Amino acid sequence: MVGRSLIDRVAIVTGAGQGVGEGIARRLAEEGARVVVAARRAETGEPVAASIRDEGGDAVCIETDVADAESVRRCVAETVARFGRLDIVVHNAFTGGIPHRLEAARVDKHWSAMSRTSVWASLFCARESYSHLVESSRRPAGDGGGRLILITSPSGVEGSANIPLYSPAKAGQRAIAKSLAREWGPDGITVNCIAPVAASPSLLTAFERNPALQQALEARTPLGRVGDITRDIGSVALFLAGDDSSYVTGQTIVCDGGSFLGL
Amino acid sequence: MTVEVVGRGELADSLRGRVASDVEATVIVVAGRARAVRVSDITDDEIDEQWERPMQDLISGLQGAHARGAQRIVVVVPTTGMSGGAEYSATAALAEAARVLVKSAARQWGASGVTVNAVAVDPQTFGIDPAKSGPVSIAPRALEGAVDPTATVQWLCSAAAAHVTGQTVVCDGGLWM
Repeated sequence: MVGRSLIDRVAIVTGAGQGVGEGIARRLAEEGARVVVAARRAETGEPVAASIRDEGGDAVCIETDVADAESVRRCVAETVARFGRLDIVVHNAFTGGIPHRLEAARVDKHWSAMSRTSVWASLFCARESYSHLVESSRRPAGDGGGRLILITSPSGVEGSANIPLYSPAKAGQRAIAKSLAREWGPDGITVNCIAPVAASPSLLTAFERNPALQQALEARTPLGRVGDITRDIGSVALFLAGDDSSYVTGQTIVCDGGSFLGL
Repeated sequence: MTVEVVGRGELADSLRGRVASDVEATVIVVAGRARAVRVSDITDDEIDEQWERPMQDLISGLQGAHARGAQRIVVVVPTTGMSGGAEYSATAALAEAARVLVKSAARQWGASGVTVNAVAVDPQTFGIDPAKSGPVSIAPRALEGAVDPTATVQWLCSAAAAHVTGQTVVCDGGLWM
């Protein structure tokens, strides 16, 4: 643990068994948050939670399928039963087959999983955590503040020729953040998005298959590198999760080294 | 030739038969009428009705238009996707997803000369209650009088708009800017 800005706060991070979710979970834990590593499989989530504990943090793994409303409800209930409160929810998990041609896409095969883990899951997380986030915002200043953070993508803003259905799935989450910022603002809860480009396992695999992709991505990025899941992306999540962002809501922070400048 | 209009509701009905073009074109009006519901109370059936089914219809509608050889495709949405709307999370998600799917389709189909654009209209056109959703803008509408998006839709369907693609034209009298 290197800081105390989130001491006593409790955070759920979905899809934290690897990649961006893991980076966010580690960064929040470094600042004292008690973290639930919500992963679909304990085989990926438990090692991350154990590693956080080994480094002096407090973390547990709860198996969670974000596409299943009942599973999300159980995750929230178990979190509150174990830690007594819930302050921060980061919904990062995402799965889905990604067709390259829109005209060949099948809603049952390609769209459904993306839709369930993006928009449906965002609404599940919001619905099940709302009452606890309200409670967090009612705590004295410096001891709480409900936060919902949705992980979207730059392609959820600008569309994509290569992954045409991924883009709308991610765009829907930005609109949910704006809508909930309005709906939950009177409760003192903030809702924001992060649109990262980071060295996740899926991106690194893509780089291995196609080294030219990495070169092209770095060449178009003003900062000339792909983001680190903990230091780059986790730190933006830390800002949005903590007290310094208490007057920021309904926003999307694009964290991609300056590649997308269209907002 | 008459432009095919896909979708339900008053706006789709008003556009049907009133939009013509010199090239093959399809207009898709997204969603039916929205209903206010707080996210803490939203049911799975409501998410299905307000997000999933209209989104699947849109994907199928775009695929159908492309298969029929449409050279101009215009998708009509409420501005709620851009502004967000309290108690309209699922509807806002649908509107914004539609707007970004338009960009993806424009990028994919541009090489064959197909343009895909969006027209964003006042949320009340889709039955969204501004008293619940919150204001679209920090300022009042710039222009007075009734707003009819038909001419904007028609222009985007025309040969004249051949080099406009992936865009959202907001046609709401200058409310959202």
